[in-house]
Amino acid sequence: MKVTVCIGSSCHIKGSRQVVEQFQQLIADNGLKEKVDLGGTFCMGKCQQGVCVTVDDQFYSVSPETAEEFFNTNIKAKV
Amino acid sequence: MNDLCADIGYKSINHYGEQLCGDHVDVIEQGDNSTVVVLADGLGSGVKASILSTLTSKIISTMMAAGMPLEECVSAVAATLPVSSEHGVAYSTFTIIHLLNNQTAELIQYDNPHVILLRDGVNYDYPKTEMNIGGKQIFKSSIPLRENDAFIAMSDGCPHAGIGIEYNFGWAIEDITSFMETIILAGYTAKTLSTMLVDECYKLYGGEPKDDVTSCVVRIRKREPMNLLFGPPSNRDDCDRMMSLFFSKEGKHIICGGTTSTIASQFLRKPLKPSLNFEGSDLPPTAELEGVDLVTEGVITIARVLEYAKDYLKDNDRYEDWGMKRDGAALISRFLFEEATDINFFVGRAINPAHQNPDLPITFSIKMSLAEELVDCLRQMGKRVKVSYF
Repeated sequence: MKVTVCIGSSCHIKGSRQVVEQFQQLIADNGLKEKVDLGGTFCMGKCQQGVCVTVDDQFYSVSPETAEEFFNTNIKAKV
Repeated sequence: MNDLCADIGYKSINHYGEQLCGDHVDVIEQGDNSTVVVLADGLGSGVKASILSTLTSKIISTMMAAGMPLEECVSAVAATLPVSSEHGVAYSTFTIIHLLNNQTAELIQYDNPHVILLRDGVNYDYPKTEMNIGGKQIFKSSIPLRENDAFIAMSDGCPHAGIGIEYNFGWAIEDITSFMETIILAGYTAKTLSTMLVDECYKLYGGEPKDDVTSCVVRIRKREPMNLLFGPPSNRDDCDRMMSLFFSKEGKHIICGGTTSTIASQFLRKPLKPSLNFEGSDLPPTAELEGVDLVTEGVITIARVLEYAKDYLKDNDRYEDWGMKRDGAALISRFLFEEATDINFFVGRAINPAHQNPDLPITFSIKMSLAEELVDCLRQMGKRVKVSYF
């Protein structure tokens, strides 16, 4: 599974760093390093909906507050 | 003509408890390749010393740059300086480093500690000729320049550092020389080198300098071109033109901005690989792109570089931040402040629709003023900067 988080200016201000760090921690805690390929990307062109995240090319809008819940429903459950 | 140029930097700290510095450094450019640097130390400290040294350095640098002979400069200073009611004399020592066509350095020294010359990182004992001008004993030297020569001029506050505290007789010139020898080859800028020397003196004084302390460093180095691309062009059709101009330039290439680097990756037909390593910094991470030396995020990173640049020109308190860290802003700062001498800025004027959200602290006008302010700072650092807008 390929998970991509936007690290462009706009998403950075909206907390993409916290989202990335939570994902990194959650992936490690759940032993999913082999299965989830976490990567960054610059602007996806949807800054208004940031923090922009894609899971296997499916677009989602995530915030630092919803990151853990998002991980459980859209990443952990689908691996 | 040769491809050498001079990197000049200086820093002073005041006598403990004084508001003004009694030392003064003036740098005046004389055409494209010649420069006059004067470090003057006025008698005493505080206001009077400050007036004496400012007058001395201004008069000498202006007259020398205008091509007047040394004798006239010295007599003009002697005739102008106000006589101190306390000491009954008008007195300011001075050191002149006159760089001619980036080929020769003429040193003229009057009563300051002698200039240290490090050639390829080791002390070089250069010849001095003694002269007598108006009763003043003046030492004159003429030295053909080589790459990696470093001249270190200082006021007597440096060798006096630590008298009676750390050392019986202060910090000996030989020891200052070996201190500088250990840091000179690390590639620090002249400003950083002078800051390190002055900071060391401050420590030796136990934080309460008994004299004004100034050092001025002149490093002779090769010209090093650098190119920085910031923002996409306002007209999409100009992308290819902007990219081909940017990549045709000699020297290192830095790209700032997410969209901008995406355009560059399309132009180069190479994948853009953003990293998720934050390097313990609050800035967005950098990215890799084959053919580009550094790829970073745009406005947030450049805003930090500008903060570093402003501090560098003033107190240089944050050189440990930008000098050591590995985040985007620190990497750009090292490239621009330390390595580059000639910088080409390619600034794109596209308006990012996402940045027009009132919740975000980035607007188009902020982006443009960031670029302008950074260019201004780099020029003050003595860099030759060319800016093209797209």
